[in-house]
Amino acid sequence: MIATNLKIVSVVVGTILFYTFLANAIPQVESEVPEELTLGADFTPEELVLAGEELYLGAGGCTACHGTGTRAPNIVEAESDGMIGERCAERVPGLSCKEYLHQSMVDPNGFLVDGFQPIMPDMSRTLSDAQVWALVAYMESLGGEVTVNAEDLAAAADAGAGAADAGAAAPAGGGPAPTATMEPMALLQENQCLVCHQLGDQGAPIGPPMTGIGERMDAEAIRHAILEPNAEITPGYEAVAGTMPATFGQQLSAAQLEAMVQYLATQ
Amino acid sequence: MSVIERFRGFGRSSRGAGRRRALYIGIAAAMLAVCACLDPLLAQEAATAPRQYGDFPVIGGRGAVWIAAQVHLLFAAFVLGVPMFAVVAEAIGIFGKDARYDRLAKEFTRLLVIAYSATAIWGAVLVFFLTTLYPAFWGHLAEIFEVSMWFYVALFFFESFTLYLYYYGWNHWKIGRAKLGHWGLGILLNVWGTAVMFIANSWLSYMMSPPEGMTPDTSPAMVQFWSAFANATWMPINIHRIIANVVFGGAIVAAYAAYRFLLAKTDEERAHYDWMGYVGNLIAIGALIILPFAGYWLGREIYEYNQQMGITMMGGFMSWLWIIQAFLIGVLFLAGNYYLWVGMGRIPGAERFTPYIKWMLLVLVIGTIVWATPHTMIADRDELAAMGGTHHPFLGALGVMSAKNTAVNLMILTTFLSFLLYRRANIKPTVSWARTGTMLQGAFFVFAAAIVLFFGIYGYFVTAIVRIGFSVYQVLAVLTAIIAVVLIDVALARGAESRGEIRWGQMPARSQYALFVLVVTFTWLMGLMGFARSGIRQHWHVWEVLRDTSEFAATPALGFAAQMISACVLIFLGMIAFIFWLGGLIERPEIVYEPPKPREPLLEEHGHPLAAPDLDFQPAD
Repeated sequence: MIATNLKIVSVVVGTILFYTFLANAIPQVESEVPEELTLGADFTPEELVLAGEELYLGAGGCTACHGTGTRAPNIVEAESDGMIGERCAERVPGLSCKEYLHQSMVDPNGFLVDGFQPIMPDMSRTLSDAQVWALVAYMESLGGEVTVNAEDLAAAADAGAGAADAGAAAPAGGGPAPTATMEPMALLQENQCLVCHQLGDQGAPIGPPMTGIGERMDAEAIRHAILEPNAEITPGYEAVAGTMPATFGQQLSAAQLEAMVQYLATQ
Repeated sequence: MSVIERFRGFGRSSRGAGRRRALYIGIAAAMLAVCACLDPLLAQEAATAPRQYGDFPVIGGRGAVWIAAQVHLLFAAFVLGVPMFAVVAEAIGIFGKDARYDRLAKEFTRLLVIAYSATAIWGAVLVFFLTTLYPAFWGHLAEIFEVSMWFYVALFFFESFTLYLYYYGWNHWKIGRAKLGHWGLGILLNVWGTAVMFIANSWLSYMMSPPEGMTPDTSPAMVQFWSAFANATWMPINIHRIIANVVFGGAIVAAYAAYRFLLAKTDEERAHYDWMGYVGNLIAIGALIILPFAGYWLGREIYEYNQQMGITMMGGFMSWLWIIQAFLIGVLFLAGNYYLWVGMGRIPGAERFTPYIKWMLLVLVIGTIVWATPHTMIADRDELAAMGGTHHPFLGALGVMSAKNTAVNLMILTTFLSFLLYRRANIKPTVSWARTGTMLQGAFFVFAAAIVLFFGIYGYFVTAIVRIGFSVYQVLAVLTAIIAVVLIDVALARGAESRGEIRWGQMPARSQYALFVLVVTFTWLMGLMGFARSGIRQHWHVWEVLRDTSEFAATPALGFAAQMISACVLIFLGMIAFIFWLGGLIERPEIVYEPPKPREPLLEEHGHPLAAPDLDFQPAD
């Protein structure tokens, strides 16, 4: 009986040890945490590039797709039209190299390289603005000249601070600056409405849905709800009362507000 | 007499009492002094920000929570999987009029009662660790899911008492309609257990896939409960876990039977536990065959929810994990099939299938090798240069999904063929269309294999987005073949002649060790998949919503994870061995092996009770 028990224990422990050995025998890759980038006032382009390279090869997670040669364009190897730093200024007319690279990180589907799927995430959700700029600097350095400067980082910091002031519902990285668009969907997106309200298959179910709002409210009521969101709380949403900013009267022009109201009234 | 009066009287009674009174007054004064000292400290504590993380000696907070969560989950899988097994076995006993299955179900429910306590204890350990080591994160979860947590506790009560009724009522409700009612309790036990699992799954799946639009600035109070509860990965995880629990329950049963078989002293005991091991293995491998399909659905939902998370899982820093997973599943297929092939040695008539075994083994080995072929792994520049590219120039072609999907589907078909041959070994069909039926079954196998191979090869010549869709056709072909062949086989077996009785108990000992390998591999694989599911969140407690800022925020490499998994598996299996031993102490059954026919009726055809057999085991003297 003891011999049988010993055999059973040997098989069980031996199997476990074998699997442990196997898992330790393969290449060990750890998922690092992106470290917050702290640059002094007089940082050099070399420091920025170095920080970007560390992010690219490590915590940024870029090599999961870029570098395999199949999922996403190769960043570190030379293509037929040169390294990324050489070809970036030619990609989108009107955008400089750093503007193009920055856009491809925070709005990756704005311009999609032929032959690739739209799988790149918005990196501003996981990286700080300074980290994004550091990656831009690194990519510029691959065959090109580094043009990212202190003003870019300072502007990013200001935009972040401004977004933080705008209200708790604003995304961490700060939203895009309001434009003069009159297109209702663009206005809804620019003003972060979809962060809390659902419209069709877009948005989050935090506040009252905008889907079917035209059947529940007329244009006057919608206008009132946008300008004075805390005057009347929709039943069932008392828990989130007071979270919608009451600043849209200042943010939107009268024409933009009206375009948005009329659009919602038809939903 | 009032308390004061008693105290006064007490004070006058003796000098010793006076000294005691002085002592009490002293203690009270000291307590007041301590309270007075603590008061500012407590006030200061309240004024500071809430603590984010606690510390745990030696293994750290992450290690403590990892072990508590994993061992709790393994026990939970056991107490959810085994009732499924028990209620099916009881049903076969009732409707198949075979008392052996009823005994089997009861034997395992007895172990369940003990295992249930261990599950609850580990659950409590997990909650205490989370509240003390990850208080801010736990607060976040509690704020969103508080209502479901209350329901969870209530369901736990219902489940516990249903289990007690189910087990302790076994002998009381053993005939006629009462037996059916007892079986209903078994079903109810599974309903409660499944509901409990669904609630817990919502918490962990929320961590992976919180409602879209949530950001780090979103207050938990703003999140609607149902959108967090029924999140994108909730239902795929529910389905995957239900099937995995059935697999796990079957494997545990098989291991228990193997242990008893090896220590059996009589032929009757050996026959009983040989049969039990066969049933456990049948359920485990049978459910394992459909598990990859549920896993595929879960993976697809993860990609649908967030491409980055999907890529991190399959092609990012976790890419090597899937090579280990492929190897482990290969071991499962090989061990399960090996047990069947060895078992065919005790079935008269099985000799005619022996020549096919080597070919089935070949398919399984090649399938495992292809499935475990690396491709587009994370590599540094030196490694890329050494390989001459992102993958091996020749073998790399076998590492893509076209080849892997083909390999796994052919392995599933082969395993199913093993079962079919095992089942048909001692059966001689007597129906007039027996030959046609067998040829039709063969045609289904060939047709399914041809479809799998066709789309596997064709996949090399189309784009990735088209290729992904091919896996659906491959899966459908295999599932269709399995269902059609089973239906034909059931019809073929009606009125079939027997080529001889199965010689239960005449099984070489090496086959039982295969069952141990099976249960260890299942358990280790569950730990590995738990790491994969949790690790793809990387440095987020809740994906892109609540960041992990602790010293353990980085997701460890596979080697460290393997050590943690092994520790959890050892703790779990050690405790399960103790429970098995304890179960033997509580009631040591006197095993009397009974051949399957004539069967003992538990319920007459029309529902009227017959003279019921004594289903209980007689205690040994």
